[in-house]
Amino acid sequence: MAQFYPGTSQVAQNRRNFSNPDYELEVLREISDEDVVKVLGHRAPGEEYKSVHPPLDEMDEPDDIVRELVTPIDGAKAGDRVRYIQFADSMYFAPAQPYLRARSYVNRYRGIDTGTLSGRQIIEARERDVERISKELLETEYFDPATSGIRGAGVHGHSLRLDENGMMFDMLRRQVFNKETGKVEMVKDQIGKELDEPVVLGEPLAEDVLRAKTTIYRVDGDAYKDDEDAVTVLKQIHVTRSNFGFNPEL
Amino acid sequence: MDIEIFPHRILGADTTEKLLNDIESLDSVKRTVLQGPRLPPQDAIDRKYGDRRIIEVNGEKLELKVKTGRIFVELFDESAIDEIEVICNNHITIGFDINTSKSQYIRKQRTVSDGLKYGENTEIPEELIGLSDQRSKFSESVSILKRDTME
Repeated sequence: MAQFYPGTSQVAQNRRNFSNPDYELEVLREISDEDVVKVLGHRAPGEEYKSVHPPLDEMDEPDDIVRELVTPIDGAKAGDRVRYIQFADSMYFAPAQPYLRARSYVNRYRGIDTGTLSGRQIIEARERDVERISKELLETEYFDPATSGIRGAGVHGHSLRLDENGMMFDMLRRQVFNKETGKVEMVKDQIGKELDEPVVLGEPLAEDVLRAKTTIYRVDGDAYKDDEDAVTVLKQIHVTRSNFGFNPEL
Repeated sequence: MDIEIFPHRILGADTTEKLLNDIESLDSVKRTVLQGPRLPPQDAIDRKYGDRRIIEVNGEKLELKVKTGRIFVELFDESAIDEIEVICNNHITIGFDINTSKSQYIRKQRTVSDGLKYGENTEIPEELIGLSDQRSKFSESVSILKRDTME
């Protein structure tokens, strides 16, 4: 069996769940295909996909064993452009966080490129695949409307204190809390262009749910030092790696 | 002495209003400063979703310009700290710290900025030093009338 992550704490278990492609993520909300397209802002809903090359079937490709072995993903088959979706996750018990997103994306999706930074995480793929993946990321446990942000640009805020209603700071005010409905609405697309109609992302998760689902070790939640198993494995990796760097014969 | 109330989340207008009313009603409180990030610009999104409103503290109307990230309180004596803790427990449900480690949290001396803003030789009452908004613009509080050139 594949070993995804060490540790006996709930956080470690959540990390294993995300990274394991056989684990079925819980669907928490429903967002229509059209809304996903609006949030991404790469094309207008209903618009044709723009392409950068003819469909693979019509192309005269050189003979290559790898091309025969690998089945192209839908977007590549049709010749779509490469587009992206980027997330920022609050340090205050957001369900996912950048490094975990990278680990789980490469375990779960084919034909993607993902980039990790301290406060944000981008995933790139062909346009129709980005839309399919985004829908999954937005509807499942990966996403909480209050503590996760869909941010193509202006990502600042993951380490700031939350607002009283639990919302993460967003300088462009894309995701806003509607006091009347108690739901979070997206009034701008991911790079901050205003939408005609707000996209409803659903209710923020309650704090105890977030604490149960989070993949972030925190001293005021599950502390990393208390997860002895995880610390032992990390220490072992650190020591063996340092020794090897110092003297490969050891 | 000064103390700092540090809520674990940025407070909204309602909680700020309740908190300030109770803190200001204490006899041993000399003055209070709100510090935090500025409120977003006033536009259609802010009007529909924003938290901007005029709050009433001890009968006086105040326009909030910042979100409440910290509250600095100057006290006549230490005994009020316990009372303030009780008030905070009543209103702040998301956790808070009361910091007393620094000897002062509110500025007590005039600065160069004060001089530039109000004039080098202007007398500022002592209780107003440290209460002004450091980032306010001159035009926000003063309107300049053009001299009438018509004869």
